[in-house]
Amino acid sequence: MAGLATDAARLADALLARGPTSYAPWLDRGPHLEIIERRSLPELRAESWRHTNIARWYQSVMDGSGNVDQSRRLEFPDEVEVVDFADPRAAELLEQRGEEVYHLAAQPIAALNAVLLGAGLAIRAPAGVAPSNPVRIVDLPAAYQRVSVIVEADARLELIEEPAHYTHRLVEAVVRPGGRLVHRRLQAASSERECSLIAVRVEGDAHYELSQLSLGAELRRNDIIATLAGNGANVTLRAAWRLDEARHLDNQMAVHHVGPGGTSRQTYRGVADGRSRAVINGRIEIAPGAQQSDATLTTKNLLASDTAEVYAKPELEIYANDVKCSHGATVGAIDDDAVHYFRSRGIDELTARALFVRGFLREAIEDDDAARELGLIQ
Amino acid sequence: MNLLRVENLHVEVDGKPILAGIDLAVEAGEVHAVMGPNGSGKSTLANVLAGRPGYDVTHGAMAVDGGDITPLSPEERSLRGLFLAFQYPIEIPGVSNMEFLKAAVDAHALGRGEEPPSAVDFVKRAREAASRLQLNPDFLKRGVNDGFSGGEKKRNEILQMLILEPRLAVLDETDSGLDIDALQVVADGINAYRGDGNAVVLVTHYQRLLNYVVPDHVHVLADGRIVHSGDRSLALELEERGYGWLGD
Repeated sequence: MAGLATDAARLADALLARGPTSYAPWLDRGPHLEIIERRSLPELRAESWRHTNIARWYQSVMDGSGNVDQSRRLEFPDEVEVVDFADPRAAELLEQRGEEVYHLAAQPIAALNAVLLGAGLAIRAPAGVAPSNPVRIVDLPAAYQRVSVIVEADARLELIEEPAHYTHRLVEAVVRPGGRLVHRRLQAASSERECSLIAVRVEGDAHYELSQLSLGAELRRNDIIATLAGNGANVTLRAAWRLDEARHLDNQMAVHHVGPGGTSRQTYRGVADGRSRAVINGRIEIAPGAQQSDATLTTKNLLASDTAEVYAKPELEIYANDVKCSHGATVGAIDDDAVHYFRSRGIDELTARALFVRGFLREAIEDDDAARELGLIQ
Repeated sequence: MNLLRVENLHVEVDGKPILAGIDLAVEAGEVHAVMGPNGSGKSTLANVLAGRPGYDVTHGAMAVDGGDITPLSPEERSLRGLFLAFQYPIEIPGVSNMEFLKAAVDAHALGRGEEPPSAVDFVKRAREAASRLQLNPDFLKRGVNDGFSGGEKKRNEILQMLILEPRLAVLDETDSGLDIDALQVVADGINAYRGDGNAVVLVTHYQRLLNYVVPDHVHVLADGRIVHSGDRSLALELEERGYGWLGD
């Protein structure tokens, strides 16, 4: 594998020799550099990277070989402030955010994002606004990108991530009490190696809703962490994917109930065809103070070929005694009886399978049109 | 020419012989009832006609309107006008009845070299068929058989039959699991469909459906063969005497 893969130590040496980028100098990169100095980047075969060869992604980081969009294209409504990280006002805007929304030690890859950052957006929906149009991010012109969102009290915001190229993208958001963030993410088929992190803190009676639709990539890893911090916070995570050829997708989802009375729903549906590999880890964590939490997680997977692989693991960690929690994971094949049923009505086999797959995925698809446009369903 | 002709049909499932030489000729305008005890091969006959994978024809042939259907795929048989109402209709969550029916109707239109019907025309047709079967229009929006009661599933099969207007409908124990009111509704649907241009094969264990859908011919299947054929009175006799006397 020499020349094809880079280990964490070699990458750390190279990064330290190179030093951080000069983009957004106000960003405190100290803790991030420390991760790299301490050699805390995940090693090959680290537990959470068991099914995704991180060395291949490190190699892309070393080479700078990722395909990068050259332009900065986005749309946003007038009511919403959007400031590029190159503008020091972004720092002021983000200062109001409070503590970090994720633990760097648990997400060491995010250190690379900070150290190599080349494009960033600070987005703030002021208190009480409810714009009728979404913030739509089409392209950002760098391999390492960051989108930092604040949805103030009782504001509503829709954020759409169109299919894009990056080596690492970090989306962090705080949803203040009574606010609502609807997040739609589209990931097209790609021959690149891409990692991303979504980290969201949801405060009292606030809502966060994610709909992620993905086709695979050469390597694609999505880490998603939602923290229900306030009383009565609400989180809905949906992800649907369909992989073919030798594509890869690794979704690592975690919902942390910290405040009491929170509700979370996680619904994941995926289809793996060809020689593809799908990884889905869904985790519910209920902290000691999070009484009356109500959390569910279901992940259902279809293996559409003999050579595809699915690794599905739901995890529950509960430290409170008055909670409602359920989880389930299944992996199965396309139902031959269902395909025959379609065919017996004159529907050809390919169409029958496509209809079956669409029906299977639909529970995790919120917008049929977007899913069709992406090519996730027919 | 017979609408359906089955000649010396031998069928194996998992290498085990189930049908051992079936002969059956059905003319347009006729209703045939195929009766018999459990395990006699009734459902195998229905399934092999529809081309279900795993049902291997080892001898004999099946023809619809003179054309051999034995080598045809299930969808090709459907496009030739063959329809099987399943004994156990399949649940397909996430695909609405309406989408499923539209896909089937479109496939049939394309098979005839016609344009698929417009969404408006199709919805109208589906609603009419649903109302004939006393099904709420919301029924069409629900997932195919998803969470349906036994009776709803059977009515859904008849709904599909009414919309696809097949040449030959094979109804596999469509009467099982129906209460008397549902049986009446299903029978009304079958009678509405019956006509000079098509034919029905009713596969059933009991004769009670035959009180509502009166057959022209009744056949008794035992050990994979038709051991007795007669008119409607045969069904009544079976009701009274059971199947045991046929072997005498």
